[in-house]
Amino acid sequence: MIERMVAVQNAHGIHARPAAEIVKVAARFSSQITLARDALEVNAKSIMGVMMLAAECGAQLRIRADGPDASDAIEAIAALIASRFGES
Amino acid sequence: MGTPLHGVSASPGIVVGTAQILRWEVPEVPVRVIPDEAVPAELARLHAAIAAAVDRLQQCKARAQQNAGPAEAAIFDVQVAVLGDEALTGGIEALIRQNLGAEKAVELVFLEWRERFTRSTNPLMRERAGDLVDIEIRLLSILLGLPDGDPIAAGPDAETILVTHDLTPSLTVQLDRASIRGIATDAGTRTSHVAILARSLGIPAVVGLIDATSRVQTGDRVILDATNGELVLRPTAATLARFAERAQEEAAVRSELASMTTAEAVTADGVRITLRANVDLPDGVERLAASGAEGVGLMRTEFLVVGRTAMPSEDEQVEAYRAVLEAFPGQPVVIRTYDVGGDKLPVGGFPHEPNPFLGWRAIRMCLDEPALFSVQLRALLRAAVHGDVRIMLPLVVGVDEVRQTRYLLREAAAELARRGVAHRADVPVGIMVETPAAALTTARFAEAVDFFSIGTNDLVQYTLAVDRGNAALVTRFTPLHPAVLRLIDGTVRDAAAVGRECSVCGEMASQPLMAYALLGLGVRTLSVSAAAIPVIKRLIRGVRLGAASAAAQAALVAPTAHEAERGLRQSLSEALGAGVTDGLLGLS
Repeated sequence: MIERMVAVQNAHGIHARPAAEIVKVAARFSSQITLARDALEVNAKSIMGVMMLAAECGAQLRIRADGPDASDAIEAIAALIASRFGES
Repeated sequence: MGTPLHGVSASPGIVVGTAQILRWEVPEVPVRVIPDEAVPAELARLHAAIAAAVDRLQQCKARAQQNAGPAEAAIFDVQVAVLGDEALTGGIEALIRQNLGAEKAVELVFLEWRERFTRSTNPLMRERAGDLVDIEIRLLSILLGLPDGDPIAAGPDAETILVTHDLTPSLTVQLDRASIRGIATDAGTRTSHVAILARSLGIPAVVGLIDATSRVQTGDRVILDATNGELVLRPTAATLARFAERAQEEAAVRSELASMTTAEAVTADGVRITLRANVDLPDGVERLAASGAEGVGLMRTEFLVVGRTAMPSEDEQVEAYRAVLEAFPGQPVVIRTYDVGGDKLPVGGFPHEPNPFLGWRAIRMCLDEPALFSVQLRALLRAAVHGDVRIMLPLVVGVDEVRQTRYLLREAAAELARRGVAHRADVPVGIMVETPAAALTTARFAEAVDFFSIGTNDLVQYTLAVDRGNAALVTRFTPLHPAVLRLIDGTVRDAAAVGRECSVCGEMASQPLMAYALLGLGVRTLSVSAAAIPVIKRLIRGVRLGAASAAAQAALVAPTAHEAERGLRQSLSEALGAGVTDGLLGLS
């Protein structure tokens, strides 16, 4: 299992559309992937879970992945969050 | 004529069409217990419904992409993702396996998730609860075999007037401009989501009709008079014909208004009128410059001091004035000095007053605090290097106030010269005529001022002794009161006699009927809010000053404001046509 910390950088945080994008990317990997903020850890393949994080701009998230493609999965999700979901 | 329902105009226009009721509410769900052997079929029914909902969402997305854009369409991706989420579907399946009917299982699981989102202190999360309601309604409607209320169902040629309780963002983005002619809602105000959207799309809309959805039936012929905030049910043939004519005229007015930015403000009998803009904040002033305004007739400076923790520096003020001057190169920019009471200033120690509108404020406060006032005066003289600055003093009642200001201006220029800072010492100085005292003695100011500008809001307030902020006095605040018109008439004549420009920069100039009266009284320079520029320009181009003058003379001797208004309206209707007049009045 591997993990990485990332910071949410887009102004509006992980609202509905970014949550849907994260789920779409996570679904491409067979590994188990979770996102955690403080004590709340959710399944990155569940949009309900990702939305429950209510991660605003500046929030620190821990991405954790376990499985054959874990490092690729973490790379892809970290890159998506760093891209600010195409927002400013 | 038919039955009129009254609401609030959210986006103007008149349309005749066929009502289509859009019900978008969570349906009542019966509790149904199923036997063990029915569970697999019930699970299959759930998945078939989810598949159908996803299918529908893809169509909605395509529709939204076409009508609104990719950002708006993305909301449907979210809804599809929710329907594909095992955290959600797993919960529904578990309840079905415990012998609950699919509908009730859906309702309970959505309720649980909605509560989780609503409980959150994070506003981002609470908004998500609304998305969940949309998905729930769609899924339950399919499971219960209810008619599909999507706006997508209307055909392209249907002249649909959508009647609904309220419009959620996800419903509104699907609206098809080609088939939806108007919107009527039970809920909502002028500032609610549906109102803002309808205005930006240019769809006539009336909101706040309270019970339209229960009084109207799909297929009813209705008239939506969004200019006057009415929905007319089952109109007679005569009413239909009358509205059809008005609708045509109003539509012509609106398309004409769009072309007004580049048109000249000349009356039908060839007199050139100067139309300037009022500016509250320097932000967005470039847009204002593009609206066809010829300079700024009133730049308020209260934004520099109200709600701050320290007074603005000279340099900061120069930059704020300069931004506006550069947006209007070569055109006059009339900047009004602070028009606030001491209690609005960031520097403390000023007492609250029992009667602030008659109190220590505006020019009175500025002259009593020369150190504070001189910073603004120096900034204005420095800004004048970048454009045609004109200084306007508020709440003046006597010539001595102008003389004292001129003394402070000479001192300000001397100090700037000593410091070697670029400035102009010959900046024109004028006064706001907003007290009966100034209006009655206009000619005496000739030696001290370069121009006059009538501030109608305060002039009405001080003449009629009616507090303009008091909601209980709204109907008594009548700008067309004979006393107000007489003061304006006298000011305009006296200013002309002493050879000084006299403009009007108050709210009154932004309202078509008032603007017409002002033209009739001889005013040739108006300063109006940005939104009113095309409306007032269209009015100017359609009227003759001879008729305006006759109407204004009649208004001057009318016994009441109401009678003055009726006469002016009739004269304006004769000049422009009833439809155009209604259109302009409705748009202002």
